[in-house]
Amino acid sequence: MQSVVERVLNLLIYLLESPRPVTADEIRTTVLGYDSKSDDAFHRMFERDKDVLRRLGVPLKMEALDAWEIDYGYTVDPEEYAIPDPGLTQEERVALSLAARMVRLGGSHAGLDALIKLGGIERSAGLEPIGADLGAEAETLGSLFSAITDRRVVTFAYRSSRRRLEPYGMAHRRGHWYVVGRTSDGQRLYRIDRIESLELGEDPSAFEKPKGFDVRTVMDTHPWETGGEEEVEAKVRFDSDVAWWAARTLRVPEPKGDLTTTVPVANRDAFVGWILSFGESAEVLTPAELREEIRSRVAAALEGVG
Amino acid sequence: MTSARTVSRLSRILALIPYVLGQEVADVDDLLQRFDYTRDQLTRDLNTVFVCGLPGYGPGDLMEAYIDENDVIIDAADYFTNAPRLSPTEALGLLAAGMTVIGMGEASPALESAVSKLAKAAIPDAGSALTVDLLDESKNVTKLRRAAADHNVVHITYRSVGKEETTERDIEPWTVFATLGRWYVLGYCRLAEDERTFRVDRIRDLTTLEEVFSPPNRIPEPMVGYTASADDVVCEIDLYPNAYWVLEYYPVDVVSQTDEKTRIRFSAPDPEVPARLLLRLGEHARLVRGDDIAARVKQLGQSLLRTYQ
Repeated sequence: MQSVVERVLNLLIYLLESPRPVTADEIRTTVLGYDSKSDDAFHRMFERDKDVLRRLGVPLKMEALDAWEIDYGYTVDPEEYAIPDPGLTQEERVALSLAARMVRLGGSHAGLDALIKLGGIERSAGLEPIGADLGAEAETLGSLFSAITDRRVVTFAYRSSRRRLEPYGMAHRRGHWYVVGRTSDGQRLYRIDRIESLELGEDPSAFEKPKGFDVRTVMDTHPWETGGEEEVEAKVRFDSDVAWWAARTLRVPEPKGDLTTTVPVANRDAFVGWILSFGESAEVLTPAELREEIRSRVAAALEGVG
Repeated sequence: MTSARTVSRLSRILALIPYVLGQEVADVDDLLQRFDYTRDQLTRDLNTVFVCGLPGYGPGDLMEAYIDENDVIIDAADYFTNAPRLSPTEALGLLAAGMTVIGMGEASPALESAVSKLAKAAIPDAGSALTVDLLDESKNVTKLRRAAADHNVVHITYRSVGKEETTERDIEPWTVFATLGRWYVLGYCRLAEDERTFRVDRIRDLTTLEEVFSPPNRIPEPMVGYTASADDVVCEIDLYPNAYWVLEYYPVDVVSQTDEKTRIRFSAPDPEVPARLLLRLGEHARLVRGDDIAARVKQLGQSLLRTYQ
């Protein structure tokens, strides 16, 4: 009984060594493991094996064998197949090995798999490894990442409607992965774990990324900083028991006692919500319009409890 | 569907062959560590390689692969001089791992240069297209890791998540881990006299003490999540669409759902938590059941109305 592993190895060797594209029929009669199967069984098996090659990172291509594009053949270019040498030093390899042991991607050790292809995992000393899992489904992340690197348009279902996106970048923040890009309505941000039935466009280099785009600037903002409203400066006082906590969130130096600071607000709704999460321990001092908004929010909540 | 195991086995074989071909001598023990193999797995894979090769599949067409004393020998495999390219998931996995450690603020210069080399190979402007950050504004992760490694007791000032109160306690940190974007420390809490998990970002101050503790033989699997207790206050709240973010933010049970609203059951150790939530939701939520909480909302709300007169 011949295993899948053997069959795929033989298939890959045949594809790498053939000087010209080979047809499915040629593969069927030449490569060990495909013979004596019914047509259906062969096609199912061949489809599965092509999928395995793609998942391995093998650049499998289909090319027309004649000018009329009637017959197609498969080919793997050895130059394209080979992993480019990133030129890592021994010290760099050790550092990466330690990092890849610590961090998982949605339960998978994709980083360690990558290192193995780059020549193996190095022994490394250091602190006892700690675990960090960056969540989300690794395959979807990988597909989106390749769409970003190849500049392919993606389409997907999101909250039960179909979206079309030119993806510019992705980010992991506060426990979730996000993809940022342009839609027909302008720049948008989507949570990747909510993306369903993702499809990548056929054409690479399908769009231009705007010069100066930086996903870090998009992500490094608080909800109340982005809302498109005219910006107002809020002056807020935090009691000493929560001042350190607020200071960390606002990225200002942690005070000894209480904290009075100004916060730029472009989304009043989000800001009022954040302030009220401090209960009586925070107070907006100015402007009057924000104080009024807090008052009406509280009044509405009081009505809600009857 | 071919299993992920088959794919990863093939991936390892396709990486092993070029590595061995590139070495003068390929020591078995080095390979076991480098490719994360057990000896049995390595032998099995070499036996597989040994029966594969060029069409014809006669003795002269197959690859050679075997263990000779302490060395692995592979030959007649020129088509596998290089490993295949990284798949997008692998490239992302390695970059993200590197960026995570850099984000913790304790990365060596070697890691930074390694990540920038990998990023350049993957995408010309990877630096602006990918960012990974497990926020640690407190800078306490490093201290806690060191304390866990050295078995030092730490004294912390902690703002608890469920009770909105600040306490001081000594803990014996067993392990530090990150999940859902946050850092946690798991250990024995001398105040609670029990095993506890703490959110690192809620630790206000931290002092590592001289005292050394003896860690348990087996550290339990870290678990994060809120388990309701019998002393919890429970209430039911109707959420309107603008408040649906609550469903993702808090551990709640959905009682019923219609097009206009979702009814949830909310448990917390202290009425303060749902009370503040109701205040911030304003007209987008309505308390359906929970007298203690209604009382606290009124008290807190009226005090706020006086403040904002």
